Amino acid sequence: MSNGAGSGPSGIITRTYKAGSIIYFENDKSEYIYILKAGKVVLTSLKLDTGEETKEEVRQGEFFGVKSALGKYPREETAQTMGNTVVLVLTPADFERLVLKNANVVKKMLRVFSNQLRRIVKMERSVLGEGEIVNPDAELFKIAEYYYKAGVVQHAQYAYKRYMEYYPDGSNAALAMKRIRAIDAGEPAPPDIGVPDAGPMDMPARPASGGDDFSIDEPGGDSDMIDFDATSHQDEPGQGSADSTLALSDEMDDFLAEKNTPSMDDFSIDAAVAGDTPRDLNDAADASFAKGNFSTALDLYRKIISLNRVNGNDDKRLLEKAHFDAGRCLMEMGKPKEALEIFSKVLRNFSDSPYMKMAIYHIGLIFESVNQKEKAITYYNKVLNMSPKDRLNSEALNKIKLLQGK
Amino acid sequence: MTAMALDERFFEKFGVEYSPNEIIFCEWEPGNEFYFIQSGNVRIVKLIQNREKNLSVLTDGDVFGEMAILEEQPRSATAIATDHVKLLKFHRDNFDTLMSGNPALAYKLLVIFSKRIYDAKRRLMILLLEEPQLKVMDVLVMLAEQDPHLDLQNEIALQVTAKDVARWAGLSESDAQKELTHLSRTDKIELFGDKIVVKKIREFQRLVASRRKSMYQ
Repeated sequence: MSNGAGSGPSGIITRTYKAGSIIYFENDKSEYIYILKAGKVVLTSLKLDTGEETKEEVRQGEFFGVKSALGKYPREETAQTMGNTVVLVLTPADFERLVLKNANVVKKMLRVFSNQLRRIVKMERSVLGEGEIVNPDAELFKIAEYYYKAGVVQHAQYAYKRYMEYYPDGSNAALAMKRIRAIDAGEPAPPDIGVPDAGPMDMPARPASGGDDFSIDEPGGDSDMIDFDATSHQDEPGQGSADSTLALSDEMDDFLAEKNTPSMDDFSIDAAVAGDTPRDLNDAADASFAKGNFSTALDLYRKIISLNRVNGNDDKRLLEKAHFDAGRCLMEMGKPKEALEIFSKVLRNFSDSPYMKMAIYHIGLIFESVNQKEKAITYYNKVLNMSPKDRLNSEALNKIKLLQGK
Repeated sequence: MTAMALDERFFEKFGVEYSPNEIIFCEWEPGNEFYFIQSGNVRIVKLIQNREKNLSVLTDGDVFGEMAILEEQPRSATAIATDHVKLLKFHRDNFDTLMSGNPALAYKLLVIFSKRIYDAKRRLMILLLEEPQLKVMDVLVMLAEQDPHLDLQNEIALQVTAKDVARWAGLSESDAQKELTHLSRTDKIELFGDKIVVKKIREFQRLVASRRKSMYQ
């Protein structure tokens, strides 16, 4: 395929084709990437599921042949010219140099690729029937049990804690809590610890939680973690929920005192090592948070809050972030009431903050976690209506759908 | 990816460190972040049939957890630090900003996504075949294609168990075993505990391709 080749100034080759020429065939192996400079190119491929032929026209200035070149796989389509055509031919190295100079090009491609990947993975799941039968709650618990049984207590502890973090109302919450304490006390796994030997395909069927949202909102089992009173099922007092400034203090009353909520902290505290600027503290806090040391992280975020620096934009943002993340720590630690207090501070004090929306979303999560569905929906609704529309809006929508579907 | 312009400030902002044997994330936990390895090694494992199986070991410059960018699905595997590991950890929500400022990282992801798209399509093609026999054959073909060191003209050995084959093919283990046994009886393959030897993989390739073609007609 060397018709009309000529080298451009950057070493990138320009190639001209007559109408009807094949630039490459499906299943060819080649590392070249093309840009359509002039003329017309049509890509023909077969649909995976139906075998149907699909044609796609490349627009001038667009790349083609990128995926197979970068992924080092055979071409998945045939590229044919539909008139006299000029293309630029790039090696992956040329391509890399070119796109590194233009972040928008990479971003745009990344968006296209991730959409494709998302679609295919979804299709794969539906063919496997996965989305419908997998129960991440039970699976996560099984991982924890596996490691405990295998004597890898560090990993077991991690998984149990994660379980408590995500499924405080889950059907295994009480047991997970018991295991966490047992591991803390240095107890080995009990001999009766049972991990049924079953792959996901053998799992008992359970209604899908929407596929992309796994906070199971079934009434909790015998969790000993969150012990809110039955008043949590009462309806919201009839006013105020439509207001965009949230009168959370009223709603706080709906939470009765938590009775001896056991702390599920990680007790390895070495918060003292951090520096003392908000930035230092924040980095140390984020690192602790990432490792699941929520109590340490909380201490550090609280330090930032007590410094109360609002001089530069950076400090201001860190202060807002510290509030929000302190709330997340408290949620992780099974202290929803305190978390709610701090999120409400974000709402009161930082109404123009980027953390505002996330704080509202998390308030929704808290209400959801204690089964106050109506209130949760109210907050998710607020998120839904906030601009800019981003992923959080769609997550809020998913939440609402799920909660209303029950 | 040493050329990545990830300066110190970047690490300050997104850096996290893990000690040897520490879990970074665990299979089935919700995932919202993806990671870039600055230094150290990360083992990716998965519980399969109640046994921990190593999927891969990643090192400097590798990215993992990237599916979190796309969707809020539980993690499909566990990531464990094997030594002292320095990572950059990025939340899905920061993705756009991050990509604007770091075309090198974006490029890296582009390459990874290209591979993932192909792999996922390839797996889907197996699942869409109708006959279990063909599915099993195509799993072997796929595995052979993935290893550039294999000479497909000759007998090849694939490091794979019946359980793996079952999983790729979307079959129950006993069904996959049945098909493998049949292939072994007809002398197309030889079964070992930890590997399968295929006599003529090209033959499987041709057979699957022609059946796939006729499937659509």
